[in-house]
Amino acid sequence: MTELRFEGVSFVYPDGTRALEGVDLEIPHGQRVAIVGQNGSGKSTLVRHLDGLLRPTEGRVLHDGADIAGRRVAALAATVGIAFQNPDRQIFAGKVRDEVAFGPRILGRDAAQVAAAVTSALEAVGLADDVEANPYDLGYSRRKLLAFASVLAMDTPVLVLDEPTTGQDARGIARVQAVVDDVSGSGRTVIAISHDMRFVAESFERVVVMGVGRVILDGPPTEVFAEAAWPVLGSTYLEPTHAARVGARLGLGSTPTEADLVESLASGTIVRPTG
Amino acid sequence: MLVLARGAGVLERLLRASILLSLPIAISVVLVSVFTRAGTTVLFTIGPFDATLEGVEFAAQTLVRLFAISTSIGLFILTTEPRAFVFDLERRGVSPRIAFIAVATIEAVPTLVERAAIIGESQRARGLDTEGGVRARLRGLLPLVGPVIITSLTDVEERSLALESRAFSRPGTRYLLWAMPDRSWERGLRWLLLAALVAAALARITGRL
Amino acid sequence: MLKLDGVSYRYAGYATLVLHDIHLTLADGEIVGLVGANESGKSTLCLVACGLAPGSIRGELSGGGLSIDGEPMAGKPLHEFSTRVGIGFQNPATQLSGVTGSVFEEVALGPMNLGLRQRETVERTNEALARLGIEGLAEREPRRLSGGQSQLVVIASLLAMRPSHLVLDEPTAQLDPEGTRLVGEALRGLAASGTAMLIAEHKTDLLDDLCSRVIALDAGRIVADGPAATVLADPKLVGLGVDPPARVRLARALAERGLDPAMAGA
Repeated sequence: MTELRFEGVSFVYPDGTRALEGVDLEIPHGQRVAIVGQNGSGKSTLVRHLDGLLRPTEGRVLHDGADIAGRRVAALAATVGIAFQNPDRQIFAGKVRDEVAFGPRILGRDAAQVAAAVTSALEAVGLADDVEANPYDLGYSRRKLLAFASVLAMDTPVLVLDEPTTGQDARGIARVQAVVDDVSGSGRTVIAISHDMRFVAESFERVVVMGVGRVILDGPPTEVFAEAAWPVLGSTYLEPTHAARVGARLGLGSTPTEADLVESLASGTIVRPTG
Repeated sequence: MLVLARGAGVLERLLRASILLSLPIAISVVLVSVFTRAGTTVLFTIGPFDATLEGVEFAAQTLVRLFAISTSIGLFILTTEPRAFVFDLERRGVSPRIAFIAVATIEAVPTLVERAAIIGESQRARGLDTEGGVRARLRGLLPLVGPVIITSLTDVEERSLALESRAFSRPGTRYLLWAMPDRSWERGLRWLLLAALVAAALARITGRL
Repeated sequence: MLKLDGVSYRYAGYATLVLHDIHLTLADGEIVGLVGANESGKSTLCLVACGLAPGSIRGELSGGGLSIDGEPMAGKPLHEFSTRVGIGFQNPATQLSGVTGSVFEEVALGPMNLGLRQRETVERTNEALARLGIEGLAEREPRRLSGGQSQLVVIASLLAMRPSHLVLDEPTAQLDPEGTRLVGEALRGLAASGTAMLIAEHKTDLLDDLCSRVIALDAGRIVADGPAATVLADPKLVGLGVDPPARVRLARALAERGLDPAMAGA
């Protein structure tokens, strides 16, 4: 069980850039949260506080009510696993299997546990057949899935994905969505940073919108993509999904996903934003 | 030299860098000279070694020379913009390709440092302990160094393809937009310095003869 | 006009062909989109179309070869390709030379490499900046630009070579929504001015807007080549791993429910 909390967190980079301004955020265990906002809004800075890669200049970060200030990154990695955007910044092993085994091994699991973790992680991302392959013989999308698998194999209660769909083709995106569903279904917390509003609307129950280091909107997709919220989205250079725009134009209320829109048109009902 | 450095506003950085860089050599020079230089006036003794006045003199002389060398090199590095320097070389006849490589190498250092930091983050997020003891750090070397090398190579590959599209491999000279002003008094000063160097060298040689 | 006449390609050191019998024509001023799953050969096709394959990366190009404006390009030195066809990649950071202090210098680099005199270099640079509407960025440091701005600088640098064709391999793949918007707008502006473009992209909404023609690639072969609206609405795209534009997806989803696709005003 890991509840994550940011209390008044501010962060200033050594060069003086103010990346976060007094952020208060609570993420209950098992939630599926997407963090969105333009580049520079503080999204990546925020998630790096979750495992101690960055320490707040002001405020505290808590896991289950306990301040993580004194704990090392290596230790926090057992709780919060982060898969970063560029897989090549992480891949170093000569075989897919060894790459995925790295994380669980470091966490101290025994050989049998490591092997099981590797198998299940590779299956989850669809790379089971490539277990003996050299990572660089796989194309970019599959390397991205490999990086994803390496973090999955660590079986952390919280999984953070930094731009999982960037650079992926349609099949890759579908794979990522399936894994998010899977992980969330097993009760773990999934947090994703993304630019893909459709992916966000379809796979996440909560959307945190960031702008200039602050949380400027926080709610379910029906609220965040509703017409009333569009100016706020615009302030951080985001656009609502196509489905939301069409739904609003047709006077159907808030229809963040295509499924919502079609449902609304089919049943003739209007979906009102919740909360 | 120090006056020039003050003028250029880099005195502090220069001093710090020179001292830091010369320190290892300085220490060994002092130790060796003070204790092993043949001399007659013994100042103090440690075990079988005699510290002589002549030794101290020699050490002092060497240190001053060392300092002079490191500060002059340091002053040049700190006050010259690499780009301007290299492109000026090209104007005077150095091949454009060499000029490019020189500048690109210098400018690549901050990127490399940044990249190493990002890679460090990815690996630490998987539990790699970079805050532990020496053995832990050694074990962590491959996951840190491997991706740095591979991504740097991929980077070079991508970069060279992109550059081809801008005719980088075209032979022949270029008409550069940059020109470093070379005022006549600067040129005069350079000749003067060269003359002074030659004179000093001659004085040394003839003085010795 | 850029033409690939039944071309096949194999990377150096590999036995399998990555491209099979490609027939592709890019007419003057035409904007053609290229779609396909991630390992379908889109990037390889882009490299072949601009001569870098086999020119720079070696490998074996067989078949009828590449010809530009009727002239066969086989064996020509690489810098001769750069004035006929420019190529842009997805990562703006590796395409900026890293040796210039301002956007102006960066864009001027290409013309300088061509051995042009200062006056012409400056003229071409100003022209390229204006075509992309980025005159305001001229004094900025290239490494401090946003992703979208960097890509615009890259495209300007290519245009300064005055190529008649431009190949762009997923120009918006690594950009945020604002960057994608910036580049999309710039490309729309360019489309109007006569440079032929071949744009490989996953974002079919972008291509829908921009291209008159779309080519679909599957395992190194062209499996569709026709008007953008037709190809993008082709049901087999989904099977190829390509996501159709939003309006097409919506119309299809409505049709599946027995509803009139026109309800969405698509």
